[in-house]
Amino acid sequence: MRQEGHDRRVDENVWRPGTITRRRFVGVGAASVAAAGTLGAAMLVPSPWRRAFGSEKPIRVGGIQPLTGPAAGGGLMAKVGQEVAAERINAAGGVNGRPLELIVEDSEGKPAAGIRKTRKLLTRDLVDVGQGGFMSNVCIACMPEYRRARIVNMIGVCLDTTITTSRCDRYTFRPFDYAPAQAVAFAPYLVNNIGKKWHILFADYAWGQSTRDAYRDGIQNQGGEVVDTTGIPLGTADMVPFLSKIRGDFDGLFMIFFGKDGVNVVTQAYNLGLHNKYRFAGDGAAVVAGTNLPAQREKALGFVGIDRYLPIFQGPLDTEHHRKFFDAVFEQSKQYDPNGILPDRYSQSNFEALNILKVGMEACDFRGREDTEKLIEALEDLQVYAGDDFPTGDRLLRKADHQAFTNEYIFEVVQGAGDTYQPKVLQVVPWQDTIVPPACQFV
Amino acid sequence: MAGTRSAEKPGFWIAFLVVVAVLAVVPLWFPNSFWQRLLTEVLILGLLAMSSDLLIGYVGMVSFGHALFFGTGCYGAAYALTWTESPFALWLALLLGLAGAAVMGIFVAFYSTRLRDIYFSITTLVFAQIFWVIVFTWTDVTGGENGLVFSPPRLSFLGLFAAEFTTMSMHWFVLAVVALCYVFCRRVTQSPFGKVLQAIRENEPRTRAIGYNVERHKMGMVMLSALVAGLSGALYGIFNAYAAPDYFFFLQSGETVIYNVLGGIGTLAGPVLGAGVFVLLKELFSTYWSPEYYLIPVGLLFTIMVIYMPQGLLGFLRHKLNE
Repeated sequence: MRQEGHDRRVDENVWRPGTITRRRFVGVGAASVAAAGTLGAAMLVPSPWRRAFGSEKPIRVGGIQPLTGPAAGGGLMAKVGQEVAAERINAAGGVNGRPLELIVEDSEGKPAAGIRKTRKLLTRDLVDVGQGGFMSNVCIACMPEYRRARIVNMIGVCLDTTITTSRCDRYTFRPFDYAPAQAVAFAPYLVNNIGKKWHILFADYAWGQSTRDAYRDGIQNQGGEVVDTTGIPLGTADMVPFLSKIRGDFDGLFMIFFGKDGVNVVTQAYNLGLHNKYRFAGDGAAVVAGTNLPAQREKALGFVGIDRYLPIFQGPLDTEHHRKFFDAVFEQSKQYDPNGILPDRYSQSNFEALNILKVGMEACDFRGREDTEKLIEALEDLQVYAGDDFPTGDRLLRKADHQAFTNEYIFEVVQGAGDTYQPKVLQVVPWQDTIVPPACQFV
Repeated sequence: MAGTRSAEKPGFWIAFLVVVAVLAVVPLWFPNSFWQRLLTEVLILGLLAMSSDLLIGYVGMVSFGHALFFGTGCYGAAYALTWTESPFALWLALLLGLAGAAVMGIFVAFYSTRLRDIYFSITTLVFAQIFWVIVFTWTDVTGGENGLVFSPPRLSFLGLFAAEFTTMSMHWFVLAVVALCYVFCRRVTQSPFGKVLQAIRENEPRTRAIGYNVERHKMGMVMLSALVAGLSGALYGIFNAYAAPDYFFFLQSGETVIYNVLGGIGTLAGPVLGAGVFVLLKELFSTYWSPEYYLIPVGLLFTIMVIYMPQGLLGFLRHKLNE
């Protein structure tokens, strides 16, 4: 009743006709015009210069990352990687004598917001090149925007296989690995060192399905067998109904998950005792990422995985380049978390993506978006080598599909000092041994 | 009542034409196409909010599942544009979007209108989430998480004229559709059918006792609302040349309710204004303040507005003018 009375009072107040005087109309109108003017003025203000660099006009690099929403943690580290790279490049004199101006926008992890922000970067900020993108669906939604604007789009994180296969695009490059290359690198180890028979558990959506297919092919090509596969819907908290049905004669349980699903699948499979019968393995550090290990702890012990980057100093990762990168990212992350955040694959791939753009821009004397065609040619079949710009090692950016091939690190989770758990490098697969045939036809 | 309506008619039409003219012309002076596209997007999201307002504002039924109709409309358009590039593609896309939303509307109306209040809201939410899971996981048909990418259609009229959409022609096309929908929805809410729905909102048992078929009226309005939401989804698909499972997700429905609360429930035009203010606030705060923390001031502003302007922006504005 009280609510009904409130509604009626509001209605009477709102809809009472015939009481609009000229003075009130003018007053409210003037206030509205002032507000609109303020907004309009704000719209016309150019983006702030991020860095003074003499009188040289900067080369604008723009990208989107999920800075809010469920993927914000990863998006923030991706942005940190971009910032570290841009600051290093500018500190060393910029690109062709001009500074880089980095503009990072929030995609909210949603395709619609990603498209909106990409349009802003391309038409309002007039960026010269794009570099960023975290979630595959957002990357795929935004690729046509770069094509229409004829601007190079150097992806930072997006993993979906189709980006450089069925959906490949002349303006889009992926300067890090993808599932088919990882499967080629990992399958020999899985089949020869663990067992021939595998059961694949995967997150049941586009990325999980395409990665499952890549590993099934890889294992079969090595003479192994995938006896069964089980898809679990993304975000399933209770995976026991799926895991409890897994039984039979096979050697290893291969998991394709990420984020909290990675934590859930490892801990719940362990709790069901599956680790006593089958060896746990998985795609990348997605299952057993550095951020997941504190939650998985001893349940992840013995897990064998593969990744393009590990935040440890062992073997080929025990280099001065890697230590510099590690320290710079950790220091930069303190802007967002006073305790600092350890580098991860997201900061690494964005750091190296911006650096490979720099190498390409220097090679073609890039002056701005009008030189996009020159830049594409410079990036195609570009090979870069380990150093401060590429702390994880050499790589090739293939012309046929704009897909890079990088070194891969096969690791096992072991107990570290005290009560900690960390990955230990078992084998390094050089990028030359990860190559798969291109499956792309540029339009 | 009739006298009041006829008395405000000339004023309404003048105001309506002025607003439409302003929305049509002002974007020409925007400094770049980004703001033009943003305004177009606001109109489409406003149309979605308007469809939700038909239920919230005029029947008192809060739908948390409008994303279902929006997403279906978007995918309907996407399928049409994936299949054909004929001069009729634009209209086929709109028709298929409407058809998809109509089917969903019938389905939801049949099952949900038997329930009231929070139970109706939860049912609509559940239906939308079920279809989100289907779209998300049925990769072979829907593209799964990656959605469907397609070429935008050409602007054509009966196959006689065809041209590529430009930023402005897209804006004018969307504006025309939204303006027509507004006039149509307003007419419906002022019709005897609309008055019965408002009577249901005020006192459902009494309306039933008078002899009206309450369920049939509710079903009619849910279906009409679904159609308008489906149309906005089809426009959104055409506008972005992309369809995503996210459009089925409950966050889309939630934002639609926010547009309503912000702009003014039961005003039809208010939700469009609400969508504009919400999108613009996010845009300005993320660009000029912080791309990481901009949702904090947006949330605070929203809270303040709900507390001090419970009737929404348009309601508040009219209230001030009435004073």
